[in-house]
Amino acid sequence: MPLISANALTKRYSAGVTALDGLTLDVEPGIIGLVGANGAGKSTLIKILLGLIKPTSGSVSVMDMDVATQGTQIRQFVGYLPEHDCLPTDLSATDFVSHMGRMAGLPADAARERTAEVLRHVGLYEERYRAIGGYSTGMKQRVKLAQALVHDPKLLLLDEPTNGLDPAGRDEMLDLVKRTGSEFGIATIVASHLLGEIERVCNFLLAIDGGKLLRAAPLASFTEQTGTLAIDVEDGAETLVRRLGDHGLTATLDGASVLVDLPNADPYDVVRDTVDELGLRLLRLEQRRHRLEDLFAERTTGEAADDAA
Amino acid sequence: MTLPEAQPVARSGAIYDLGYQGYDGPRLGRPAAIATLFWSSWRSAFGLGRSGRAKIVPWGLTVLALLPAAVAVGITALVGDAVQPFTYDNYLPQIAITLSLFVAAQAPELVGGDQRNHVLSLYFSHAIQRIDYAAAKLGALTAALLVLTLLPQLVLFAGKVLSATDVLSAFGNEVPKLLQILVSSLLYSLTLAVIGLAIAAFTPRRSFATGGIIAFFLVTAIVGQILTRMDSGEVSRYAQLIDVDRVLAGVTHALFGGPGIQGGGGGEGGGAAIPELAGMIYIGTLIAVLVVGIGVIVQRYRRVQA
Repeated sequence: MPLISANALTKRYSAGVTALDGLTLDVEPGIIGLVGANGAGKSTLIKILLGLIKPTSGSVSVMDMDVATQGTQIRQFVGYLPEHDCLPTDLSATDFVSHMGRMAGLPADAARERTAEVLRHVGLYEERYRAIGGYSTGMKQRVKLAQALVHDPKLLLLDEPTNGLDPAGRDEMLDLVKRTGSEFGIATIVASHLLGEIERVCNFLLAIDGGKLLRAAPLASFTEQTGTLAIDVEDGAETLVRRLGDHGLTATLDGASVLVDLPNADPYDVVRDTVDELGLRLLRLEQRRHRLEDLFAERTTGEAADDAA
Repeated sequence: MTLPEAQPVARSGAIYDLGYQGYDGPRLGRPAAIATLFWSSWRSAFGLGRSGRAKIVPWGLTVLALLPAAVAVGITALVGDAVQPFTYDNYLPQIAITLSLFVAAQAPELVGGDQRNHVLSLYFSHAIQRIDYAAAKLGALTAALLVLTLLPQLVLFAGKVLSATDVLSAFGNEVPKLLQILVSSLLYSLTLAVIGLAIAAFTPRRSFATGGIIAFFLVTAIVGQILTRMDSGEVSRYAQLIDVDRVLAGVTHALFGGPGIQGGGGGEGGGAAIPELAGMIYIGTLIAVLVVGIGVIVQRYRRVQA
């Protein structure tokens, strides 16, 4: 059963902005990173999954339930951490989280018990009896995570969970998210515009850009090794490029590094001998890995090429 | 912050693994969620579960609404039936200002914070629908107002019965009045709640909402009275319908009879000179007010951004 299944999902806002443009995807449970620049449609997708906004066209189901017709049913099993503030100031964390548990359909006793448990999980102790209005940003973010977890959701939707946190707070929040997803086995979607964060916690990636699906694949495939060898030498990179070309290798200069396409045959010996022949000092020799940034960079260059053509 | 890991305790033989527990129990769904929102909102209308400061205004106004009834009962107990300042017909018009102030103070409390702090997006992403939110809030404010409208009338009722020489026959005489007490309380509470919420739902700012509600009650009451007194033609006869308190008094009078309408401007006695309209006109006006008010609230929550 796919966790989320969207078909030609489109959302146009009245101002003429297209937030989602025919998005079609199937997502299996896991810790899923939803990446894209600001305005790529991440929050819109999450809000549609929750039924907070209605799609202009297309359909989407969560856990085999149709968002359009079974919204309340779905929302009993979904936890949501919005990107903006969403906490009352005059209630204590205990009262608020327990209230939200009951809003998700838990009986009063169960809501109380689970509130104590999730607040301990997110690391709020004595301060949980104080009014939320006096909390720091980090503590508020923990309360937001706690209220999303209190009803033991099957799906957790986290929209920019590290919003407004300092570096230490970010680390703690990301650890919490990772623990929640991997140890508790709750399917989690983390929306973020920070690729570094996604890389740390997720095992599957959804990249969207301009409301379209760019790529959906396991995280490993985004960062797998490429067919490029990077060589750093102290001086004479240009000479090396020329000489490698003489030896029949496709070499290019990328900043200070020399990049060599890896053909089927191993070029390592040729590279080593050539460097030695030229008397260059070899600093580094490594097979390049894709970085997440390349994903968006490739698309940009691709578009530029399209424009030129 | 690193969390304390659940540590297996081997020494005593008892193992406490406080790791994450799933929840396999019942999920009560939409009706339970609506009931939860209703009760938590009702509690917040009286500042329950909030700081002491949040209780001052609602409790003060509740006491103010009850006080006349309590005093009247006390006087009756001391000096007998000779003086009866309050009847079921005129009690609610007498405390109309207190009721309006309660709505002005507490309607924003019920709905303003949820918009100000963006809690709405959490509510709408739980097991309710937008219209359920509006219904729960309206129900809660109505139920809160019932405390201020029903309770003092029940005190009057109890006072009348218990101060009589023959308690049983007095009870028998007064019981039919319970319907009037109940219906009039419900009508006042619902109407004021609808008007209060219809205004408060439009702004996250508490001061704007409170000011708006007070302004509404003041302006309608004053304009109604001025127009009514300007001349004695048709205009002035119908102008009284602008004043909500007057309409409510008219409806109660139409339904249950009594010595005449005393509503308008808190019932300072000036109402006696205003010619009355047919009962159906008051009833029709009230229904129109309720339909428009509820429509406004529902539309607002259907569209409000979450």
